[in-house]
Amino acid sequence: MQNGRTAFLFVAPALVLYAVFVGLPILQVFAYSFFTWDSGTIRGFGGLENYTRLVADGVFWTALSHNAIWVVLTLAFPLMAGLITASILAERSPRTVRLLSVLYFLPRTIPMVVVGIIWLWIYSPIFGLLNWFLDSVGLGNLGAAWLAEPNTALLSLNIAGAWTFFGFCNIIYLAAIQSIDPSLYEAASLDGATWWQKFRFVTTPLLRSTTLFLGLYAAIEAMRFFDLVYVTTSGGPGYSTEVLTTHIYKTFFLVGDFGYAAALSVVLLAIVLSISGISYRMLRKP
Amino acid sequence: MKRNRLLAIMTGTCALAALAATAAAETSVVQWDQFSSSGATSSGPAMEALIKVCEGELKDVKINRTVAPSIGIRDAYRLAVSADKTPDLAYTWPAASVLAGYARTNKIAPLDAYYDKYKWENVTPFYRGRNSYQGKIYAVPMEQDLMGVYYNRDLFKKLGLEVPTTYAGFKDVVEKLKAASVVPIAFGNKDRWPATNTMSLLMGLSTGRANEEKVFFGDEAWTNPGFKLAAETFQQWGKDGYFPRGFNGIGVDEANALFLGGKAAMNVGGSWFLQDMARNAKFDIGVFMLPPIGDGVAPGTMWGEGSQWQISASASDAVKDAAAAYVNCLTSPANRQTWVEKGYTVPIGTTAEDLAKWNTLPLVKEFFGQGLATADSNFYDLHTTLPESVTQVLYPELQKLVGGDATPDAFLATMQDAWKVAIDKGERWAP
Repeated sequence: MQNGRTAFLFVAPALVLYAVFVGLPILQVFAYSFFTWDSGTIRGFGGLENYTRLVADGVFWTALSHNAIWVVLTLAFPLMAGLITASILAERSPRTVRLLSVLYFLPRTIPMVVVGIIWLWIYSPIFGLLNWFLDSVGLGNLGAAWLAEPNTALLSLNIAGAWTFFGFCNIIYLAAIQSIDPSLYEAASLDGATWWQKFRFVTTPLLRSTTLFLGLYAAIEAMRFFDLVYVTTSGGPGYSTEVLTTHIYKTFFLVGDFGYAAALSVVLLAIVLSISGISYRMLRKP
Repeated sequence: MKRNRLLAIMTGTCALAALAATAAAETSVVQWDQFSSSGATSSGPAMEALIKVCEGELKDVKINRTVAPSIGIRDAYRLAVSADKTPDLAYTWPAASVLAGYARTNKIAPLDAYYDKYKWENVTPFYRGRNSYQGKIYAVPMEQDLMGVYYNRDLFKKLGLEVPTTYAGFKDVVEKLKAASVVPIAFGNKDRWPATNTMSLLMGLSTGRANEEKVFFGDEAWTNPGFKLAAETFQQWGKDGYFPRGFNGIGVDEANALFLGGKAAMNVGGSWFLQDMARNAKFDIGVFMLPPIGDGVAPGTMWGEGSQWQISASASDAVKDAAAAYVNCLTSPANRQTWVEKGYTVPIGTTAEDLAKWNTLPLVKEFFGQGLATADSNFYDLHTTLPESVTQVLYPELQKLVGGDATPDAFLATMQDAWKVAIDKGERWAP
């Protein structure tokens, strides 16, 4: 009993801070979502009005679909590339491993706003590095206004996002591979397994929980990301790169419709919490 | 020794009392404005100079100034208002419709009594209307915003081009520029607001002010022939190579750099770029007004105040009085010259004759000389006329329209839907 009380006293400061700076604001947002607002001022109680608006809000559904596409693309590219490069890297000398993993991880240390500016310059239709490169290798006809065309904008942004996430996946996979018992690889070699067979039948199955962690982490991040889109395209052209967070931002700050922005935030919170719940359950399984 | 100490204490007490009395008499006004030193609205030097002048004139007024960049001031101001921390005095954009939102929710003070006291006759009925809501005036507009076409006079001379006086002539100039492999118009719409200004100009030149008013303040729908002509024209500009490739991915600063670097011949822009254009053009820069597009439409340009001085409803009466007196000083005929000469900002009420006398750039005189000549037919700015909920639909829809991803009919139908929703919710501003 005494121990429980002492433990609670130790936890209490953090709990109070969490309640004040996380719990209360969430409750406040939840409460806001039941009111109608005008220019940042409460107009009256609206009940579920803001939630019923979601059904007919085309921008909301477009944004949600873009978040989903982002999740799929993130799972498809950075995770896969991180796994393959980590598998190759694990067999190299410690010096090579250190050097390359630092290089791969470097983009992850750059703030997303700066990443956005870097890729704006790379994709610029006037003086962009990408179009210049394509021109210089005789592929100028493939050049495009990458962030200005609806059919390339979201994919181009995802590549920028993948550039920052790939190094993180690589480091996590590398650590996981290095913790695999080397005797398993030795046994596979004695059985005549090729590199690909060892990767397919030893490495990949043993990295199940790592992949699960990275996948769910990527999914949560994909629902929350904002800065890269806002800096580069603000959701445009049209609604081509609109995601839930940019829709919430515009509804809140620009339109001043705090109630609807709060309802959108509650929905986003529910999605993120659901993914977190699933990940928690899956990661707990042995 | 004791006597000296007593004397020192008494002297100190008297000095403190005098200081306290001065402080008590002084009224502090918290001011937010967007006058920075570079980029759009870079009239910072004029603002700084005039604060000194006005604090000197109004001995009991002390200004506590915060500069918020024009790009973020409207968001910052909205947050401050919603948290009941409205600054005593603010100079923010956009005007009219957003101002009406704050008036509707009683966040800013009506200024009718101050209009009676200080007259402010330079604020004409047009401008008074744009700063009114349900019969009361809520702000003092100051600078005049105009739209025009900046052009590279050297390049025009080199290619043997004349400033167009008709829309057909304008199209001819564009074709000749394209034939010479020069980008005709430096236009970048990544930031989304530039297209709104261009559309404002095209709408006015396609249908005229009176027809615009039928939509903005009457029952006419957006899907009218005049607005359709404007939408078709804008889309045609996008399709026919009037703009650089990938314009929806080019920032406004990049587009300006394209023009200032001599790689584009024209820039359809506003007077809010005057400072940047005048300071950075390494060629002979000129400006002309885009000729009318629709049949029988009078020449004119988009104009408005863009931003305005507004006073918090929650400020004390003393602070409101001090803020109004200070605004009176800032906008006085004597101080208009400072705005023009140090800030390249032309306050409302300034005439072409004033500009001719004052020490300012030829480009400023040229721009306002032409814009003020059509005062009776100048038309509305969508940014300041539409409620924010409609503007936030307009931004992406214009990117789709000009990029060729929506037809003019689809664009206008979407705008009409957003417009109707805003009207139903009571968000429409009318003078």
